[in-house]
Amino acid sequence: MNFLTPGLAAIVAGIAVPSLLILYFLRLRRRDVEVSSTLLWKKAIEDLQANAPFQRLRRNILLLLQLLVLAAALLALAQPQFVGSLGGGERHIIMIDRSASMQSVDGEPDDATGGTTRLDAAKKAALELVDRLREPGLVGSTLGSVGDQAMVIAFDQQAERLASFTGNKAELRRAINSITATDAPSRLKPAVLLAKAHLPRRVHVDDRAAQSVTFDELYEGGATMHIYSDGNLPDAPEVRTQAEDSITFTPAGQRTAWNVGITGLRAERSFDRPANVALFVGLQSTRPEPVRVEVQLSIEGRVAEIRDVTLPAAVVEAAAAPVAPAGAAPAEGEAAANAAGADGPRLTPVNRGVVFNLDRPDGALVAVQLRFPGAPAGGLGDALPVDNLGYLVLPPARRLNVAMVTPGNPFLEAVFVDDPAGAQAAFNLARPVRVVRPADAQTFLGTAEAAELDVLILDRWLPTAPGPDGKQSPTLPTGNTIVFGAVPAPPLGPTDQGEAKDIAVVDWKRDHPVLRGLNLDPVAISPGRKLELTPESPARSLMLGTAGPLLLEYADVDRRALVVTFDPIFRSTWIYEPTLPAFIAKAFDYLGRGGEQQRATLRPGDTLTARLPRGVADVRVALPDERESPLLPSPGGEVNFAPLEQIGVYTVSWDGPLGPTDVLVGGRARRAMTVNLLDAAESDVATRAALPMASTLVQATPTDGRGPMRLWPWLLLLGVLIVLLEWWVYNRKVSL
Amino acid sequence: MLKIDRPSRPVAIEDLLDPQLVARLSAIDVTSRKILSGKLKGERRSKRRGQSVEFADHRQYVEGDDLRHIDWNIFGRLDRLFIKLFLEEEDLSLQIVLDASGSHDAGEPSKFLLMQKLALALGYVGLVNLHRVTVSVIGGADADGSPQLISAVRDLRGRRRLTDLARFMLTLNPGGPSPFTEGCKRVALARRGKGVMVILSDFLIKEGYDTGLRLLLGGGYDVYAIQVLSPQEIEPTIGGDLRMKDCEDGDLTEITITAGLLKKYKATLTAYCNRLRDFCAARGIVQMTIPSDQPVDALVLDYLRRRGLVR
Repeated sequence: MNFLTPGLAAIVAGIAVPSLLILYFLRLRRRDVEVSSTLLWKKAIEDLQANAPFQRLRRNILLLLQLLVLAAALLALAQPQFVGSLGGGERHIIMIDRSASMQSVDGEPDDATGGTTRLDAAKKAALELVDRLREPGLVGSTLGSVGDQAMVIAFDQQAERLASFTGNKAELRRAINSITATDAPSRLKPAVLLAKAHLPRRVHVDDRAAQSVTFDELYEGGATMHIYSDGNLPDAPEVRTQAEDSITFTPAGQRTAWNVGITGLRAERSFDRPANVALFVGLQSTRPEPVRVEVQLSIEGRVAEIRDVTLPAAVVEAAAAPVAPAGAAPAEGEAAANAAGADGPRLTPVNRGVVFNLDRPDGALVAVQLRFPGAPAGGLGDALPVDNLGYLVLPPARRLNVAMVTPGNPFLEAVFVDDPAGAQAAFNLARPVRVVRPADAQTFLGTAEAAELDVLILDRWLPTAPGPDGKQSPTLPTGNTIVFGAVPAPPLGPTDQGEAKDIAVVDWKRDHPVLRGLNLDPVAISPGRKLELTPESPARSLMLGTAGPLLLEYADVDRRALVVTFDPIFRSTWIYEPTLPAFIAKAFDYLGRGGEQQRATLRPGDTLTARLPRGVADVRVALPDERESPLLPSPGGEVNFAPLEQIGVYTVSWDGPLGPTDVLVGGRARRAMTVNLLDAAESDVATRAALPMASTLVQATPTDGRGPMRLWPWLLLLGVLIVLLEWWVYNRKVSL
Repeated sequence: MLKIDRPSRPVAIEDLLDPQLVARLSAIDVTSRKILSGKLKGERRSKRRGQSVEFADHRQYVEGDDLRHIDWNIFGRLDRLFIKLFLEEEDLSLQIVLDASGSHDAGEPSKFLLMQKLALALGYVGLVNLHRVTVSVIGGADADGSPQLISAVRDLRGRRRLTDLARFMLTLNPGGPSPFTEGCKRVALARRGKGVMVILSDFLIKEGYDTGLRLLLGGGYDVYAIQVLSPQEIEPTIGGDLRMKDCEDGDLTEITITAGLLKKYKATLTAYCNRLRDFCAARGIVQMTIPSDQPVDALVLDYLRRRGLVR
């Protein structure tokens, strides 16, 4: 049992109890009676008063009862309550996982779990925690009666703060109840970072220097993080907490839950026969018995093929070596061991792939659905229905038309010219690359052939145009361009501040489609140019070196360009890295095929980004649940929509010209984009018994389902009963 | 115990003396443990030899004796003159003293009412037996309400004087402080002859009853002290936090009634009564304590007879 507001009760007791005793001594209100003689009474009192006044009090049952009433009221004011484990902490961070796996339904509706989703179970457990929070005093937060505070964070791939630290339980309940499941995978780290961001920074006060230092990295500890999840948090081992933080993990769901899901979906056209498409469907099963599923392939809404697949039983792993007790010093490397061993026996999911071979030169919307022939009618089959669906936009068979302007480049010529067939196959080109010398280039750009180009490579050459000062200065041509070793003049390009030597790569946009998966750390440049982007420049820096931007992206309505500001062939070591051809291939895809790579990899929680042609109007996006949302294109022709919460097909439609892969339906241009879960961790729905984190292993706390037992109403009732007893005693003159 | 705001006062003789009781009272008489001499010849045998018909003794004639009392038969036989002595029947002085201080005007039924009834009944007994009946009232208030020390009717004799006695009794008005000692002194000085003295009081006297009672001792009187207490004084029914005001002297006492205090009060009352009884017993006073709710006829005809006041 603990008291929520002991300080307030103590203060009131300090005032009320002596007051009652003083009132008793003073006897302010007495009934006047006239008696025949006070002789005998005086004698009787004299005898009694020979005893100490406190003995008189002791024998006074009325005072005793009044003290009891007061004690009951004061105890009620202190708000005693019986609680389970919750006690000392004052700040609680409620983190509720709303990722796709939390949509899993454990058990049947008539089971103890009630067939509710894990999110519902997590919310219920969180609401119980809110009930157990200590409230401020009945009469406000006076001395010693400050209640607990809690913050509510819902997280999937991103974390969202639904309520900041507050003691207002109604607000916390409202925040928790407002959480809905998304189809996104889960990541714990953003949630923990968000929680930390709201904690006050730790301040070190240096007495000698008479100054205080605020540490941005360290926060005031003592916060209790309550994680409500099924434990499928693949990044949990990377999450660091401070030693004084306490973390509880309340698992939702059942450890025996099984699931079959689509964890991979890819389509690839054959290089030599682009009409041939191989569609790979990756399946994962966590069922300890073999399971038969039907994989149904639909193209543009019509069932094209059904494949019967039997997945073998998932492998049961024996429990690993016992985990070190919680008190042991946790080491960095232990987290992985924790992850493996904490759970006891654990299923290793089995994976199987299914390949559909299609013959389709046009683009198409492909849907893959898993069905369970043995499942009861209306039953879900497995725990998580979200990953039983997968969508894919199949790009039309398209080969690129590429030309190159170069004063002579052994590397590029070796790649594109010396082996035309190889280059055609490797980069999926329509025909061999046309090579133009700089002398003819300005003329070539005006020809119809240039207008049909998908990608133009400019090696150390740029066309010139009259600048703002009337002089001819380098600029970018219209169309899709890759530039090596040249920059357009300001204001389009950066200002040149002279030569720079020994330039190293500092950072690059790792999530950009052309740089994703590339390690550019080994690239060194010398000599290069020291450049600085002006605020007026429309360029966006994708790669930053010690002397300024190294890779610029221009994305206008009629011009898209990737500008490598240095010469990668003769002035850098990039030529020796395999990342250069990979960059070129990605740049071809990105510029020439409209970034379909990006479209294929959208995940829930991502941002939908589409670049639309010039002159579009009335842009709308249709969501999988058939809601429509208007979009406003940026001056660069880009539309964004976020967050993507549901899996399925998002269709951007507009009035106006079509892009290279867009289709015209009902007079409106449409571009479909698909969002798929495709997450092996999310599809593995078995609830974890423990959460391995970087510095600690958090064992699951079972929900006891028991709220706090508040005692103050009972104490008040007791007080009323004592008052009634006192009234009876007063009338009966009972004595102890 | 509690003072009654508007006590009902007796207005007629019937309020004090039930006619049915009158008939029964006629048959009894006031007794004295001593044979007492009186001024008038009454129905009571006196120690003094006198002119009654009851022979007592002979003695030798001396000059000056009444010749009518010479026993001529003895003179005939012995030739000497002897005087016949007769027991003289004498009247008896019945002194009834009432304490009319404020404390008696309390209780339910009123203590003073019982004292009035008792005094009148005893007075009637005295009157019908041709005793000299004197009723003295110590304290009380006169018709104007101002306190008085003493008032009395003296030397009433014969049944006819009952109305005088009753009229006096009906004018009595209890109240004010208790001048018990001073009143007793006056009574002791004013009384004549010998007889029976009955003192009716609650004896709750702050100045003490000792001196007063001592003054009344002697003088040839047989003293009876009758203590009248109300039932509420014997078993208090009040409770709570009280400020008690003494109706005689206005003394204030703050008190909280508890069961312990009630127990203590009863013990104190018992001790007080015992002390009075012991005081009286040591001085030959017959002491009785009667509650004010006792019926007068039972008291006079039964209780007082058993205690020897009447026969």
